[in-house]
Amino acid sequence: MTRLRILTGVGATLALLAAGCSSGGDDGGPVELTFWHGYSEADGDVLEGIVDDFNASHDDITIDTELKTWDSIDDTLLTALSAGEGPGLVAMPAERLPVYAAKGAFASLDDFYADEASNTANLVPGAAAMEEVEGEKFGVPSGFVPLAVYYNTALFEAGGVSAFPQTWDEWVAASKQLTVDEDGDGTPEQYGVVLPDHATVANGLWPSLFYGNGGDIVDGEDAVIDSPENAETLEFWSDAIAADQISPTGVDGIGADELFSGGKAAMTVGGPWMASIAEENGIDYAIAPIPAGPAEQAASAIGVSMAVTVDTSSAEQAAAEEFLSFFLSEENSVKWSLGSGWPPLRTDVPAEAVAENPVVASLTEIAETGRPLLPGVVNSVDVLSAIDELTQKAVAGEDVDTLLGEAQAEIQAALDD
Amino acid sequence: MSVLASTRRRLRELRPSTVLATLALLSVSAVVLLPIAIIVFTAFKPAGEVNAFPPSLMPDTWTLDNLQEVTSELPFLRLIGNSFLFAGGVTVFALVFDSLAAYALARIDFAGRKVLLIAIIATLMIPFQATLIPLYQLVADLGWVNTYTGLIAPRAADAFGIFFLRQFFLALPRDIDAAARMDGAGEFRVFRSIVLPNAMPALLTLGLFTFVNNWNDLLWPLVFTTDAEMGTITSGLTLLTGPSGIVPHGVMMAGSLVAIVPLVVAFLFVQRRFIENIATTGIK
Amino acid sequence: MSADHPPVRRYRPPAPLGGRRRATGSPTGRGVKAFLFLAPALIILGLFVVWPMISALRLSFTDASGFGREEWVGLENYVTVFTDPDILSAVTNTALYTLLFTPTAVIAALGLALLLNSPHMPFRSFFRTALFVPFVVSFAVAAFAWSYLIDPQVGLLNYWLRGAGIQMGNVLEDPGLAMPAVALVAVWKLFGFYFVIFLAGLQDIPSSLYEAARIDGAGPWSRLRHVTLPLLSNTMAFVLVFATIAALQAFDQIYVMTGGGPYGHTQTVVMEIYESGFKKLDIGFASALSYVLLVATLILSLVQFVFFGRKEKDMA
Repeated sequence: MTRLRILTGVGATLALLAAGCSSGGDDGGPVELTFWHGYSEADGDVLEGIVDDFNASHDDITIDTELKTWDSIDDTLLTALSAGEGPGLVAMPAERLPVYAAKGAFASLDDFYADEASNTANLVPGAAAMEEVEGEKFGVPSGFVPLAVYYNTALFEAGGVSAFPQTWDEWVAASKQLTVDEDGDGTPEQYGVVLPDHATVANGLWPSLFYGNGGDIVDGEDAVIDSPENAETLEFWSDAIAADQISPTGVDGIGADELFSGGKAAMTVGGPWMASIAEENGIDYAIAPIPAGPAEQAASAIGVSMAVTVDTSSAEQAAAEEFLSFFLSEENSVKWSLGSGWPPLRTDVPAEAVAENPVVASLTEIAETGRPLLPGVVNSVDVLSAIDELTQKAVAGEDVDTLLGEAQAEIQAALDD
Repeated sequence: MSVLASTRRRLRELRPSTVLATLALLSVSAVVLLPIAIIVFTAFKPAGEVNAFPPSLMPDTWTLDNLQEVTSELPFLRLIGNSFLFAGGVTVFALVFDSLAAYALARIDFAGRKVLLIAIIATLMIPFQATLIPLYQLVADLGWVNTYTGLIAPRAADAFGIFFLRQFFLALPRDIDAAARMDGAGEFRVFRSIVLPNAMPALLTLGLFTFVNNWNDLLWPLVFTTDAEMGTITSGLTLLTGPSGIVPHGVMMAGSLVAIVPLVVAFLFVQRRFIENIATTGIK
Repeated sequence: MSADHPPVRRYRPPAPLGGRRRATGSPTGRGVKAFLFLAPALIILGLFVVWPMISALRLSFTDASGFGREEWVGLENYVTVFTDPDILSAVTNTALYTLLFTPTAVIAALGLALLLNSPHMPFRSFFRTALFVPFVVSFAVAAFAWSYLIDPQVGLLNYWLRGAGIQMGNVLEDPGLAMPAVALVAVWKLFGFYFVIFLAGLQDIPSSLYEAARIDGAGPWSRLRHVTLPLLSNTMAFVLVFATIAALQAFDQIYVMTGGGPYGHTQTVVMEIYESGFKKLDIGFASALSYVLLVATLILSLVQFVFFGRKEKDMA
């Protein structure tokens, strides 16, 4: 269709005609499939290993992986899809899936899920929920991990905190104890905890805190952020940050990781990558669940989804599904989990299968407390920026009720879009 | 000896205002060069020092780890080669096509040239993000995805260059081509053997701008090349971003250094002619 | 030039050199020749710039996502552009950015060019080179280096200023300071480019004009006002127009340094275009917003040419 438009639109037709057609067809033969992902560390090596195994065991299918950054997958995927040059398979942050699915970029996987051979029956329910948009499944999870607290055991010892806090009050108390302002200039040299107030991990931290007090952000089609529970949560934490300076303000998730890796914060909230960052920076760490709120122990989960794009022939789609079920097999689930440091995606993987990796073991214990972030929300961009604005301003001391009212309106508008 | 003597003489001749101006320029230059210095020195800092407090400009211990990590994580020779092909290819074509067009706009009287000039400049006023998708579709329809042709062709002429050279050509005295015309030289010969040789400083300047801008361009090579082997060093640097968006500063600075050094070398190479000859680029 | 500047009244700008070529040949003949010279550039621009622009214009009347189906929505996207409060705030931010960036960059470039045009200045070559160096650094790298320098925890500049008693705080998270900071990074990166163009313009002013002004008793200030600046007005127009275009399209360093934050305070129009296009997959809306920006830029540029350019026939 684009080709036609050019021909009618531009005079230089001959060159275009000569350029001819490119994309290959459906005519049997071996299927080649491109797979874009952003796994750049040890997880990338394991993924390559699984892909190699798959290619070796499937003569008629070859999967080529293409490493991108998670950020640039968005930029490149849209342009590639616009010209029918998209990859067959793509992995992306889970909250990015709904918008692509809603615009028709991905093939429906409902039939795949219905097939017993797909290995999807025992997926962690929260992980499977990330893949659903308007009642239809468009992806398969490649990662689902609740946010957890990563803490510096040396600083805990030095500060005399022996037991990891179990409740919010204990958490604040421990943080206070671990905050050090030696020169008394009002700017601590060491913070008890770093609670980012916007971007990346902050997008999961604050929802976790909201859940802990029985609040939520979105319920189906409705924004429910303006609730007394959430007001309480925001007040509790902005008071703790302002009064006791247990955390710096104005930090984003990346800044939080840097403070922790520089030994300037005793606790941070993050995902499995914190383990490797801590190791690289020579920090002795341990992992614990986010302390329970007054209502429950809950954590927002970070997810990654894999989807099959519409730039695939039916043979390629079948090949992609073949790979997805291969990836989700019990054996590969264990291999992937151990190598990537993320907990297994299947509930039927026994704990002892992943016991050799202590990070995975501790994350697996808390896996069931994880809740997907904004599953099925198409315009997550605006919802997340409303949450950013809310938490940043609340931490800076603005009136919580007004802020919640504004956030409610913005989120509702984003949902109605 | 004579250098010293002349320096002394020049120092004696210095007026207070010149001294003040020199001091001002020195401080401005120091501020201007500080980010460059931080890139260079951080590239050689070990990981532990990068986020240390109190911060320091120079590393305590110098290390090559960061550079090694860049060279091991990126096919950096290939990327630099691609950058040279992309920026260099664009520069060569753009200089030829822009100067031809600029010549017509400046020195041939034809109906509608003012409107045409405004239309050409107007193409600069739409953000690239807006035309990226239709452009990519077009290049894909031409079958040029992941080819050097596809990377270079869309930049082979550009409005800024045409306008820049037009201004220069306008300023060339009109008599310079009279003799050649008397000998019966046609428009193209006047262009090639009279106007172009006189335009060397302007071409050099524009060439440098074009080369630098394309070398540093991120979005187009990033989006256009879905194959990492086809990327440029600038787009390749994004791959140094770690999980969760964390960029290890030392490694990133080392990567930046690798990306800048060829440019600075290229710049120093033409610097003398460039800075001195800028005299006559004729934008006035 | 008006009568209240007697000393230099007689120094008119020289006639535009070669501005109007003697017309040779028939109009049609010249048209054909001109076309042959223009053809390669016009084919490239037409194919790779104008055609995508036309496509974008068409898309601006649709709900296109860049792929898949698209439907004609008439003026809906344009109505949203003019009614959405987020867009209004992006426009305000862009205006603020332009006001921060353009005069600062242009004045800094002009001032430094005036200083370094003087033959008495020692270390001329060194300064000229030093001031141009930032231009060879990419926006992404520049943004990265500056973010590191002003980091509230480990930033060297922050640390030095604190030593001097200046508390800079967390600049990029401060709603009042974030925009000046990202604008200054652009000034740093781009002023060397404008500086070089000003230098070129300055060196084209015949020294005989300065001599004559000096003989007439004009001091340095008067020479600047009545010789240099008037003769530099076309250079000024050129630099202003391109600096304004650069400002209105501000994106790269903002994307790296603040991502539009803190809560939207550095969200510019192009950031908004990028976000609607590439994050929300609303290419139709992004295209409409781009066209509104195009028209605004065009109007602003024409105004600048009229105000600052010498009113020569050959100036667009």
